[in-house]
Amino acid sequence: MTALTIAMTHAGYVAAGWGGAVVLIGGYAVALLRRGRRLSRQVPPGERRWS
Amino acid sequence: MWRDAVLVARRDLRIELRSRVAISQVGPFAVLVLMLFAFALDPDRGVLDRATAGLYWVAVLFSGLLALGRSAAIDEADGVREGLRMSGLEPGGVFLGKAAAVAAQLLALEVLLGAGVVVLYDAEPAGPLLLVATCLAATAAVAGAGTLYGALVAGLRVRETMLPLLLLPALAPVLIGATRAFEAALDGVPADGWPWCGLLAAFAVLYSVAGALAYGALLEGQ
Amino acid sequence: MTIVSPETPTASPDAPTGTGSPATRVLGGLALAAVALAALYGLVWSPADVEMQDSVRLMYVHVPAAVFTYVGCVITTVASIMWLRKRTAGWDVLAGAGAELALVLVILTLATGSLWGRPTWGTYWTWDARLTSTALLAVLLTGYLALRRLDLDPDARSPRVAILGLLLVPNAILVSRSVEWWRSLHQRATVTTLDPQIDGDLLVALMCGFLAMALVFVWLLVHRFRVGWLEHQAGRLDLDQALADRRAEGRAAVAGTAPDTGTGPGTGTGPGEDTGPGEDTGPAASPPASSGTGAAPAPAAPAATEVTA
Repeated sequence: MTALTIAMTHAGYVAAGWGGAVVLIGGYAVALLRRGRRLSRQVPPGERRWS
Repeated sequence: MWRDAVLVARRDLRIELRSRVAISQVGPFAVLVLMLFAFALDPDRGVLDRATAGLYWVAVLFSGLLALGRSAAIDEADGVREGLRMSGLEPGGVFLGKAAAVAAQLLALEVLLGAGVVVLYDAEPAGPLLLVATCLAATAAVAGAGTLYGALVAGLRVRETMLPLLLLPALAPVLIGATRAFEAALDGVPADGWPWCGLLAAFAVLYSVAGALAYGALLEGQ
Repeated sequence: MTIVSPETPTASPDAPTGTGSPATRVLGGLALAAVALAALYGLVWSPADVEMQDSVRLMYVHVPAAVFTYVGCVITTVASIMWLRKRTAGWDVLAGAGAELALVLVILTLATGSLWGRPTWGTYWTWDARLTSTALLAVLLTGYLALRRLDLDPDARSPRVAILGLLLVPNAILVSRSVEWWRSLHQRATVTTLDPQIDGDLLVALMCGFLAMALVFVWLLVHRFRVGWLEHQAGRLDLDQALADRRAEGRAAVAGTAPDTGTGPGTGTGPGEDTGPGEDTGPAASPPASSGTGAAPAPAAPAATEVTA
């Protein structure tokens, strides 16, 4: 931890920014996939032209 | 189209006059907003003086929202939209008529609030030409945008909450422009205010044209 | 007494289905690789900026997020215009997908901007022109998505959201112009003036950020579009189902067999509509496979086998 703070100024802000970005977009992507999976059970394969 | 507009404007205004809601509720509400500002910003500290222009326009927007909501609600009664669509009136004309009726109410509101600001906030009107021009342009802008957004949310159960959410951020430029223009007029430097007035006019034209063109699509989709 | 739950018409419930396809899987892999590259370059390999020091590393997220926010808004407006011209569901769905991505990215933009502003300006928020107009853009997007989210008949909703989507970019431009003009009376737009000559390594890091964000954006957009498409189809099927039920009810009533057919209208199996086996005897007669699947080639159950992960 000390090594990191020595190596970087503002490390906390940078970590929070990148971490937040990964969590936000990753979370959104996972939510999207799960929503798609749930919905695709209600729709016949003929209407899912991509699969 | 213009004849249709006049027809619709007269209808809306007559309904509004008959119901007396504008006079007995919207007007008093506007004055109440002015008083609330005074409570929030203790009048003796001089904040009111410096913020008069901004407070005035916030009050106009808030009480104008009520008038806009009522204007959208007029067409919600059974079959009115159907009737409008079948009547052969041009949708663009209907839009302009409704916007004109709202604009008339907003102007009345602005006169009332102007008197309120002079009396309650001790404001001294200056630069009358710029004040009047700003009022006209801002009124047209609010009426045009408000009528279009009112049509977007007309008939929805959540109309009352949806209209401010959609309309107020879009009206942010109007609030900024009208406030700056008023400040310039009150500060005695009208030259600073005219560009803002131009922005308001451009906004008004843009929304009036967009609304007149889009209203048909909205009427048919209800 | 065959009760067909709405979930069953396609395949066995655990069949691996979803919004993925071979192409998106490749794209997803590329996007992850680009994110890893951007993280390495942005966080490890590139040096700190002379002025902003290490907080410049937030820019490698912030700037691409801001740019793709605008891309999402433009997609929404263009798709809305196309819907008004073509009136096909795909454009409507695309407009919604663009706006939702734009909202996610504008939140990211504001968050990283605040985190950057704190060490650089000493405050999380300032009424800078660009900050203010970005915040207003977030509100505009929220409003648009709130209108989309309403549970409305598609015929009533689509024109409304199309008009609102059409206004999105003009509104954003008007807001940002007026706010910039407003603030410039008091102070300079700080972000624009803080635009130093970017030197080589930092520029490469920024480009890596752009590449990663672009790939992630496209991946998300494709998936969001497909989810929206599925929602649209599911809504349509529900409508078909309801119509079929209603029709069956009517038929049963005419045939006088109404009282004993089932536990209620909702559980009827929907006698295959017009494409059905052509027998008009009553709701309970049709086999479970025909449960209101519209025009789909229903029976071959676990068709979607090639979908993995």
